[in-house]
Amino acid sequence: MLFIENIKLALIAIRSNKMRSFLTMLGIIIGISSVIAITSIGDSAKGAISDEFEGMGAGYLYIYPNYAMLEDNYLPAEALFSLDEIEAFRERFEGEVLYAAPYRTTSGKAKVGRTDAKFSLYGVGPDYDDFYKAIHMEYGRMVNSKDIEAVKPMAVVDIRAAKKLFGKENIVGEKIAIETYFGLREFSVVGVYSQKKSFLSGLSFGEPTYTCYVPFTVASYDPEEPSYYIETYVAPGIDPVTVSDKYCRWLERLKKQEEGFYIVETAQAQLDQINGILGKLAIAIGAIAAISLLVGGIGIMNIMLVSVTERTREIGIRKSLGARTKDILTQFLIEAMILSVIGGIIGTALGIGIAGIGMAVTHMRLVINPFTVLIAVLFSAAVGLLFGVFPAKKAARLDPIEALRYE
Amino acid sequence: MENNRKELIKVRHLGKTYKNGKLEVEALKDINITVYEGEFVAIMGTSGSGKSTLMNILGCLDRATVGSYELEGIETTKRTDDELSFIRNQKIGFVFQSFNLIPRTTALANVELPMIYGKVGTEERHERAAELLKMVGLGERVHHMPNELSGGQKQRVAIARALANNPPIIFADEPTGNLDSASSVEIMEIFTRLNRELGNTVIVVTHEPDIAEFTDRVLVFKDGRVVDEHLTAKGIENGASLPYGEVNE
Repeated sequence: MLFIENIKLALIAIRSNKMRSFLTMLGIIIGISSVIAITSIGDSAKGAISDEFEGMGAGYLYIYPNYAMLEDNYLPAEALFSLDEIEAFRERFEGEVLYAAPYRTTSGKAKVGRTDAKFSLYGVGPDYDDFYKAIHMEYGRMVNSKDIEAVKPMAVVDIRAAKKLFGKENIVGEKIAIETYFGLREFSVVGVYSQKKSFLSGLSFGEPTYTCYVPFTVASYDPEEPSYYIETYVAPGIDPVTVSDKYCRWLERLKKQEEGFYIVETAQAQLDQINGILGKLAIAIGAIAAISLLVGGIGIMNIMLVSVTERTREIGIRKSLGARTKDILTQFLIEAMILSVIGGIIGTALGIGIAGIGMAVTHMRLVINPFTVLIAVLFSAAVGLLFGVFPAKKAARLDPIEALRYE
Repeated sequence: MENNRKELIKVRHLGKTYKNGKLEVEALKDINITVYEGEFVAIMGTSGSGKSTLMNILGCLDRATVGSYELEGIETTKRTDDELSFIRNQKIGFVFQSFNLIPRTTALANVELPMIYGKVGTEERHERAAELLKMVGLGERVHHMPNELSGGQKQRVAIARALANNPPIIFADEPTGNLDSASSVEIMEIFTRLNRELGNTVIVVTHEPDIAEFTDRVLVFKDGRVVDEHLTAKGIENGASLPYGEVNE
């Protein structure tokens, strides 16, 4: 009962000194809002990046030579994978490896009438969209195995490029002349895809580059051109990291390279790496925010000490009416805690607001971790408790007669 | 007159010494006082006579250096601070010269305060506080803040607050010291009514003979001793008696 009375008392005291209470809370507000803003932005960025990698597919494996092992940065020609070798690799792990293709990309310039667009030709194997989930077929179809064998210049085009070049979405059957390093070629459009607006593409400025999926046999001058890199998708349920060693060792034996020559990159490993960096960043900024909370706590202590001095007589009156040491202590502790908790709540709201604006600007999904919010509010209460103890003890120890005499 | 009344306050050989560095000041010397239940007593004396020191000790705000003080049969000199807080809360009602209401807090909330520390339920507290304010003639001003009240009204709030936990004894320290004469009379009449009609034991500390005249019995202090004790005109009229032997030689 006395607890509720103390809360009421604290609210009255805070209300009757609005400006001072607000200024006192400011330290906590700034501290908590920066913690919340930074952790929310961090969580949102993590969310955006993991969305990005999820689109890449959980089974994604990218096999490439370990440059750190090369002498004089010289990549031996013997380490190149021929198309037959890539196919042999896929067959060796039939059932596990669902997709294996050389990694081939090249840039190009498309022109239709007077409009042109920058393209990035991405050579893919059959049914690439079954694995790479970030894209969605809108019209027509994806590149299939026949297209690859036929070495026919055909393309699956970004819906935005379709609109830009043709002024319409469905351009299946249209032809686009694309100029690449190996010359001008006419590609017939077999499909149109759309892609979720991504966090990374949202950050790029200037003239957009549209990715255009083509059979890998037409993404280079020589359809049989060997590659140092293999893009692979393993079957669902297989952890790419655990099977990667097996694949590398097999490929090393095939190519007569020493162990460790080939290494892999997985979506998960990249994600972990980025998350690790973001996590370290969050800790560093969190530490700075913690210092501002410390300063906020000292502010609260300062004001509570002033308040105790100002209310010396009130404390004397309360004691004369039967308040025990404990009652006075609780009263001032609760007041300090309420000050900092209100500051914490305002700070949380402000922090979420700041993060929300930041996310709206960068087109990211705002991720609020309720756990972080809870911790922030509890932490501010703890700051109030910690820095309220000294003034509250000072108040509780006052001698009633002296306090009553205080002017 | 046969003395079979209950002893509410029993002070025996009580002394109080203040130490101020090397200087020792003997504020009270060998005080022996008995106050019976239902008495209306004035403690008189000039400033520095020790009457306020005695008041603080009787009110359990301070402790005696030597001697004993029993309040309703409880020996107070060996109690802890928290036990004294409890005694103040339950057994004593204070009325101060400077009113000592809590600022920015309504009259009602001020009256409720002792009951909050006495752990009285919310509803009961509100009811009793409103009732007490009505009794002292402030039924219309329960939600006023202290700064919206006149001196006399503030002191009436303080009286209502002193009565909150229905304590057996009320101490009033110069209750009219900050009031004009009309308000002083009003306040003293309230004390008289409390004593006569409700049977409260009231002890008033004052330096004004006019105020002391409202009571039945007067103890006069000088230099930390009781130098005189007499019945007032009203006391004689009421058939009050003197517990002889209180005056120091």
